[in-house]
Amino acid sequence: MTDILSYNGGTIVAMAGDRCVAIASDRRLGVQYTTIATDMTRVFKMHDRLLLGLTGLATDLTTLRNLFNFRLNLYKMREGRLIKPKTFANLVSSTLYAKRFGPYFCEPVIAGLDDEGNPFLCAMDLLGASSNDDSFVVCGTSAESLLGTCETFYQPGLGPDDLFETISQCLLSALDRDCLSGWGAEVYILTPSGITHKTLKARMD
Amino acid sequence: MAVAFDGGVVMGADSRTTTGSYIANRVSDKITPLIDRVYCCRSGSAADTQAVSDMVRHYSASVSLELGEDPTVRTVASLLSLICYRNKWLLAGIICAGWDKRRGGQVFTVNLGGALLEQPFSIGGSGSSYIYGYCDEHFRKGMSKEECVEFVTKALTHAMSRDGSSGGVIRLVIIDEAGVERRFVPGDKLL
Repeated sequence: MTDILSYNGGTIVAMAGDRCVAIASDRRLGVQYTTIATDMTRVFKMHDRLLLGLTGLATDLTTLRNLFNFRLNLYKMREGRLIKPKTFANLVSSTLYAKRFGPYFCEPVIAGLDDEGNPFLCAMDLLGASSNDDSFVVCGTSAESLLGTCETFYQPGLGPDDLFETISQCLLSALDRDCLSGWGAEVYILTPSGITHKTLKARMD
Repeated sequence: MAVAFDGGVVMGADSRTTTGSYIANRVSDKITPLIDRVYCCRSGSAADTQAVSDMVRHYSASVSLELGEDPTVRTVASLLSLICYRNKWLLAGIICAGWDKRRGGQVFTVNLGGALLEQPFSIGGSGSSYIYGYCDEHFRKGMSKEECVEFVTKALTHAMSRDGSSGGVIRLVIIDEAGVERRFVPGDKLL
């Protein structure tokens, strides 16, 4: 149990384009080096303009997903509107920090479009320290590799199709160098007109 | 892994070398030549196995100078075993296989402690845990060369599929009286 955050494996990357965001994750669920499942979902739709990706310990992933769905339902009931990505990011951050001395072993990535259609990206560590970025954010076991590939291939102002190509190639190259992530990938592209979901074929090892 | 057939051996390995969870080399060659018709499959610490196989290559060359002909597969395997036994702190699991004119194709395993064991087929490395059942079920005595190649390819595919520290491509080495043939199965053509 040396590193709890890499026990189950998993990687997520999110990128911003011209009035669109993309978030991509791998599909492997493992127990250290053994692969258990290859159809794990790590990215969840919070509402039509907000996607939440979670990396880290799978059990905390499930717990947090359910917790945030619950909190969003309450918010929608009380406010009568959908939560803004910025506000949701704050919600996630404070939920994680509330467990400062016994944290959830999860590192979330939030991707959304605000009311004007501008992209919003945010990545957090397991204690809720958030970093906002206009370009890309990464989390998970191949985060360092992803930083390299994203720095190289990212350009600002990409349209939805180009953004899809770029984020897919960045993720697939990084997955090729990581034992704990892989087994396929899924990409979500969020534009003002809706969410497209695509699955990528990758190395199955 | 390595499998003996009548007239030679088929050796196969994946191509992933890792430092922790980072894949340092995804196309490595884990099957190394020792003498003309004897190769070894290396598993464990890459540094240790490279050092040991380099030393055995050197010692085997000395033996062949003294004998005037190549040493037998068992001799080369014994040299590996001696080095591993006398240096117990090494992390080296080696499968030594090849062909010699006295006994044809042979497969020897040298485990972590340095024990030498001759087997009809042998599997090793972290991915081997996942294919003990598969191999025990599908191995038959008296398989032909091509049947052995298919057996090795399928077994390795299964192991690479389940084990995070195994993957990449499959490298095969087929050794018989006529010589040594190298085959390559790329990642997207695994069975």
